[in-house]
Amino acid sequence: MAAAAKQAQQLARQLFKLSVVDHVVSTDRVAGVLAYVEKHAPANAVLVLKAYHRLIAVELAKSEARVEHAGAVAPAALAAIAAAMTKKYRRPITTSTRAHPALLAGVRVRVGDDVYESSVSGQLAALALSV
Amino acid sequence: MLHSLFLAVVEAPAAAAHAAHAVAAEPGIVEKFGLEWKYVVVQAISFGILFVVLYWKGIKPTIAAMDERTHQIDAGLKYAEEMKNRLAATQQQTEAALKEAQQKAQAIVAEAQKTAKEFADKQQKEAIEKASGLIAKAQEAIELEKKKMLAEARTEIARLVVATTERVLAKKLTDADRAAYNETAARELTGV
Repeated sequence: MAAAAKQAQQLARQLFKLSVVDHVVSTDRVAGVLAYVEKHAPANAVLVLKAYHRLIAVELAKSEARVEHAGAVAPAALAAIAAAMTKKYRRPITTSTRAHPALLAGVRVRVGDDVYESSVSGQLAALALSV
Repeated sequence: MLHSLFLAVVEAPAAAAHAAHAVAAEPGIVEKFGLEWKYVVVQAISFGILFVVLYWKGIKPTIAAMDERTHQIDAGLKYAEEMKNRLAATQQQTEAALKEAQQKAQAIVAEAQKTAKEFADKQQKEAIEKASGLIAKAQEAIELEKKKMLAEARTEIARLVVATTERVLAKKLTDADRAAYNETAARELTGV
């Protein structure tokens, strides 16, 4: 069982590498990979697809900056954030927004596992921790 | 004494003869009193025999018994003196032994008192150290508890302040304020 899971993980990594072009997940490549899996049905296809899905999701999260905000955010500000993250991670990063009133004011940006925040609630929390 | 008596008996006839010559010359007191020498001699011999018998059977055993008793008394006195000396020596030895025993007893008592005092001092010292340790631990625990309470109070106060501030800001901040703050935050994040 452990050997099968390991083989599925290795195959999923190979398929994931085929799906990424210039640090960007290619839709066409992903479609091709799925067609390959459907056609050839490798051993432990379900495990392979689960691992492949997780890798793709992580990579997509790295290519997306999720911006949480309280109050309105100007499109220019979102564009500036996207540009700054693209420059930082050296890959094209798009932004998606979500209202988060608990921030009171300010924005919180998530890129993959990294979090950048400049909000009133964050500053108050830092103040509470520093006391 | 016996010798003098014997001489008196032996010399008695000579004296009697001499007295006879004197009486022959003139009637003396012997004739006057009617003494006859043969009776005197017989009586002297009888007295001598009686004296010898008395001496042999009475005086000599009595003297021997007296000498024996004297000797026994002397021995008894000597024995008593020796016993007295022995008693004195024994008494001295006993006194010396008692004195030595008393000294030993005093030394043992002193040693016991010293040991007891040392033990008591040691126990007291250990008790003081233990009490000091307990007091130090208690003070440390009190200090830690105090710090913990202060930290908890500080955290709680900070939490209340933050919560209150959040409520106030949630009510007071306008959309324009939020937009301006968001603009500033975006500029800050793009400088990361």
